Amino acid sequence: MSAARAMSEGFGKAESGAQLLARLEGRSSLRNLEPYLFADEGFPMHGDVIEFHGPEGSGKTEMLYHLITRCILPKSGGGLEVEVMFIDTDYHFDVLRLVTILEHRLPQSTEETIKLCLGRLFLVNCNSSTQLLLTLYSLENMFCTRPSLCLLILDSISAFYWIDRSNGGENYNMQELNMKKCVKFLEKLVREHLLAVFATTQTIMQKSSSSAESSFSLKHQCEAEVDYRPYLCKSWQQLVTHRIFFSKKCHSSNSKGFSIVSCHVKRNHVVKCSFSVAECGVQF
Amino acid sequence: MVILHAGLCPGLTAEMIQLLKANGIQTVVDFISSDLEEVAQKCSLSYKALVAVRRVLLAQFSAFPINGADLYEELKSSMAILSTGSKSLDKLLDSGLYTGEVLELMGAPGSGKTQVCLSIAASVSHSLKQNVLFIDSTGGFTASRLLQLVQSRTEEEEEQVEALQRIQVAHVFDIYKMLAALQELRHCMSQQVVCSVGPVKLLVVDSVSAVVCPLLGGRQSEGLALMMQLARELKTLAREFGLATVPTGIQVELDIGGYEALEERPGASGEEL
Repeated sequence: MSAARAMSEGFGKAESGAQLLARLEGRSSLRNLEPYLFADEGFPMHGDVIEFHGPEGSGKTEMLYHLITRCILPKSGGGLEVEVMFIDTDYHFDVLRLVTILEHRLPQSTEETIKLCLGRLFLVNCNSSTQLLLTLYSLENMFCTRPSLCLLILDSISAFYWIDRSNGGENYNMQELNMKKCVKFLEKLVREHLLAVFATTQTIMQKSSSSAESSFSLKHQCEAEVDYRPYLCKSWQQLVTHRIFFSKKCHSSNSKGFSIVSCHVKRNHVVKCSFSVAECGVQF
Repeated sequence: MVILHAGLCPGLTAEMIQLLKANGIQTVVDFISSDLEEVAQKCSLSYKALVAVRRVLLAQFSAFPINGADLYEELKSSMAILSTGSKSLDKLLDSGLYTGEVLELMGAPGSGKTQVCLSIAASVSHSLKQNVLFIDSTGGFTASRLLQLVQSRTEEEEEQVEALQRIQVAHVFDIYKMLAALQELRHCMSQQVVCSVGPVKLLVVDSVSAVVCPLLGGRQSEGLALMMQLARELKTLAREFGLATVPTGIQVELDIGGYEALEERPGASGEEL
């Protein structure tokens, strides 16, 4: 019996030479990804989960395009030359916009070089929170076998919020069940494969001005400054290591139309900056 | 939530399902998220067989990643830009309506949304000779106005008739009928059956807010969920079938009451998640 179990264990857990190498080599570094965005060290460490939060039109997706180009550009073009996995839950992703940004950033952009860069990007569309969960399971293999795939982007993780609430009936736990499972598996992926995750969430709720709100102790200085109402499940709130709030400035005195407040959740360190969006992408 | 049943995939037999059910594994998600070694031991099933089934189920129910370069190639060959018929509108839209995308026209009542929709429909049908589906939920669609618009583009009666024939109209006055009309369109397009006219290239929905607003407000979330579902359906139709979709609406700011931050509570029967 033990021999059979040992055999089946071997069958299940055997990894190929490529996987072994991938595990030992570790993921490529994300140093210099974007110094303006990160409050602390200046680059996302492996294992970081960064949430982009803001209303629609505040520049979250543009910032993601900016990060993607920084990742997929070759080292000669000023990029990190790493691979990116993009999970799109609301059919938002615009390849043509990405190509425009790439063309502006590459010194000599030929069709070949653009396609080479795009070859480092993988895109998945998910239709429901169940499909998102199953897709995360099936992507595990890709993370195992590709050591240069170290960035996972989820745009957006809050897309199924209302649909899940409505499908779950009266029970809050049932409503959040799928999302909790996704978060749990995401945590496992991040831990085992040393990924960095960027996820966007929409500002669905606003702080009400009633006195009931003030009784919630606002643990973080940054939450006091922005209009932030957490609504996704607790396990997601606990997984996030950095939270970046996006907002659009109504009257831009210095022509920088968007601003961000970046908070490191554990160390309560806040950094603010602003950016504008041009044809060539985000400009700080 | 897909429940495991015999024949769902090769290798999944009825006996297997019985054994799995006895150990609390009923749906596809349960199966895929469980530890197969434990399951093999508890249900005394072959580990190899379970792994094979898991692989097939994952291939069936999860989404596949596509490489960026392939996506770009696909888009270059399949995307088209439909001119709206008005030079200034085309300039505003960066040369026109892109197939595969959703263009939302928002404005106060009486600001001209229906007129723009009618004129785009007339232009696409007459100049580009493409089929149009016009979903009307306000009763604002008048054939006589459409005829006027087409007549201004051509004098020949035959051409006018052809242009009008390419525009199909669906009158829907609640969200369920609207979702049903979209389902029918999806069915038509995926069957590639020439549903009397041919594949639709432009989908106009005038207006979305007329069917969605009555559902919103108050503390229930069903209205919001239905609205999200409608939005998703419009987007997926545009993407999957290469349509240009033009929904119209009014922007409203709602007060949906207060939602407490959901605290994690232990389940009533002690189940922890």
